Amino acid sequence: MDSFLAATTLVFTWEVMLIIVSASIFGLFMGAIPGLTATMATALLVPATFFLEPLPAIAAIVSATAMAIVAGDLPGALLRMPGTPASAVYTDEAYLMGKQGKIGVALGLNIVCSMIGGIIGVICLAMVGPLIADFAIKFTSDEYFWLALLGLSCAILVSGGDRLKGAISMFVGLAISMVGMDSVSGQARFTLGSYDLLAGISILPVLIGLFAISELIRRMPETNNPHQEVQMRVKKPFSGTAPLLWKYKFGVARSGVLGTMIGALPGAGADIASWISYAIARKLSRSPEKFGTGHPEGLISASSANNASLSGAYIPALVFGIPGDAITAIIIGVLMTKGITPGPDVFVSEAPLVNAIFLSFIIANLLLLPLGFIAIKGARHILSVPSGVLFPLILIFCMVGAYAANNSMFDIWIMLAFGLLGFVMAENDFPLGPLILAVILGPIIESNFMRSIIKANGDLTAFVDRPIAITLAVAATLIWGMIMANSISFRRTNSRLPFSQ
Amino acid sequence: MRSNDKITGLVTVTFGVLVITNSRGLNNLPQQDYGAGTFPIVIGGLLIAFGGLLALRGLSSRAPLMVWVNEVPIKRFYLTLLAIVSAIVAYILLVPVLGFPIVSTALLCLLLYGFYRQNWTLAACTAIASTAVIWVVFGRLLQVPLELGILEEVVY
Repeated sequence: MDSFLAATTLVFTWEVMLIIVSASIFGLFMGAIPGLTATMATALLVPATFFLEPLPAIAAIVSATAMAIVAGDLPGALLRMPGTPASAVYTDEAYLMGKQGKIGVALGLNIVCSMIGGIIGVICLAMVGPLIADFAIKFTSDEYFWLALLGLSCAILVSGGDRLKGAISMFVGLAISMVGMDSVSGQARFTLGSYDLLAGISILPVLIGLFAISELIRRMPETNNPHQEVQMRVKKPFSGTAPLLWKYKFGVARSGVLGTMIGALPGAGADIASWISYAIARKLSRSPEKFGTGHPEGLISASSANNASLSGAYIPALVFGIPGDAITAIIIGVLMTKGITPGPDVFVSEAPLVNAIFLSFIIANLLLLPLGFIAIKGARHILSVPSGVLFPLILIFCMVGAYAANNSMFDIWIMLAFGLLGFVMAENDFPLGPLILAVILGPIIESNFMRSIIKANGDLTAFVDRPIAITLAVAATLIWGMIMANSISFRRTNSRLPFSQ
Repeated sequence: MRSNDKITGLVTVTFGVLVITNSRGLNNLPQQDYGAGTFPIVIGGLLIAFGGLLALRGLSSRAPLMVWVNEVPIKRFYLTLLAIVSAIVAYILLVPVLGFPIVSTALLCLLLYGFYRQNWTLAACTAIASTAVIWVVFGRLLQVPLELGILEEVVY
């Protein structure tokens, strides 16, 4: 109770509240522009968070991502263009509801369900997090090695598409994470004689390059395409949403919990949560034939799930220090720069901060209602910003952001290199999620491996001589078996296609 | 630009070989068979194995070695890519000399005119206003040392 009171005093300050509102508005703008994702919003926000205290920094990221996911529904419903991948599954449903004159209901449901889903996610996080942390406190370097390996393996398994390419993406990320001075022996590795690389490759330019520059390379050539005007007018947002919410209340609750669970899996983000929730809602529905015709049931489930998954991703991030997705990977990076290492100990040593993070989650989700209302009303103006103006501004912002972390021009070269790498990889269906998780988890895996091997005097069996370690090892081995089996079956099913899909 | 798996697989194998080659000179820990080179060699080996699998898959595919599969004409893509890369390189090379305000305004002005295709006055006004906002937010509020370059003598 004391730590909860301490948390309230941390959160309810004008500085934190102002940052939450500002970051929400930033997230709203980023999410509403088709092609700009919540991850990109986070990557662009990080340079600013370096100059903030831990709580406002995390509150800013939490608020911006939650709002970006919700704002991604606006172009989906109004222009049939999903703003973020997380809203792609129900874009047709929302757009068709608009065509039937129910655009206010569709957008109202998006916002209210996102808010409810988000709050369900926070409740699950607050309840489950400390319980798992109690258990995880017994972990040694053996368990952390297997856990990090398991997290990476899961990221490949759930990232979708070709698992073989997912695995290669992960190995490339692990190789990148080894650049710089080895943490155990102090030897320089892969630095090519560069003094700038001795400290390793900074995560921020890598993130901006992979998620912002590569996206700009993909999107900027399209800037001369005809601009789509918003035809629909939203007169009464939220009107008629309450009866539908009541009718599908179990769907909202189910998707909120499901979304949290999916979010907790490393590599599975808001997009996967919304696709799975939509599919389950259709399977369990009494009228599955109505799905895809402007029916609200699937939209309600997927909207709840995608926002809930954001909270779920914080479970492995806070409890084990293992990111669930690219956004929590950024959060871990931000916390570490502030001298806070996420892990089970943080629930004891930084209890007020952890509770304050939960509180800021709730505030950010509650803010979705008023800001969402303003967003709906101003949607036509937000969507009318020409991409030819926006993209050059984002490019300059990326360069300043990459420079800001270490005040180094070298980081802008890194950003450019990773922008080109990210573009080539995405064009060839290599998922970027496993790569960024590997860059973050690489040092954790290697340092725990080296610690265990030194402790055991080179005896590899020491990695599996504890019950939790052997359980995690078996799980990791099984997942690698599935990855290999999937790679082979993918090869068979796609060998007749000109390009693997 | 999409490449056949043969190409991407071979690039992966080459990368794996480079990782292993560069790890061989690293010393092991005293009285241990493991050291700074252990993990890179394992990762390099896995890159070779998985890259090889990908290349094998590419061998059985009828896909062309490289193909442009985007709706945007390839010439436009290359021009845009050139604009982005040139803007970043120009920023890195020119900011230490001319300073952030001049380089940012000039680059934004060129990019806005190039991509939005309205008029120079609108592009210049937007560029100046945006640079001023970035300067205030990053340079003043967040204390990022954005370089003034030749303007330093004018300001101070």
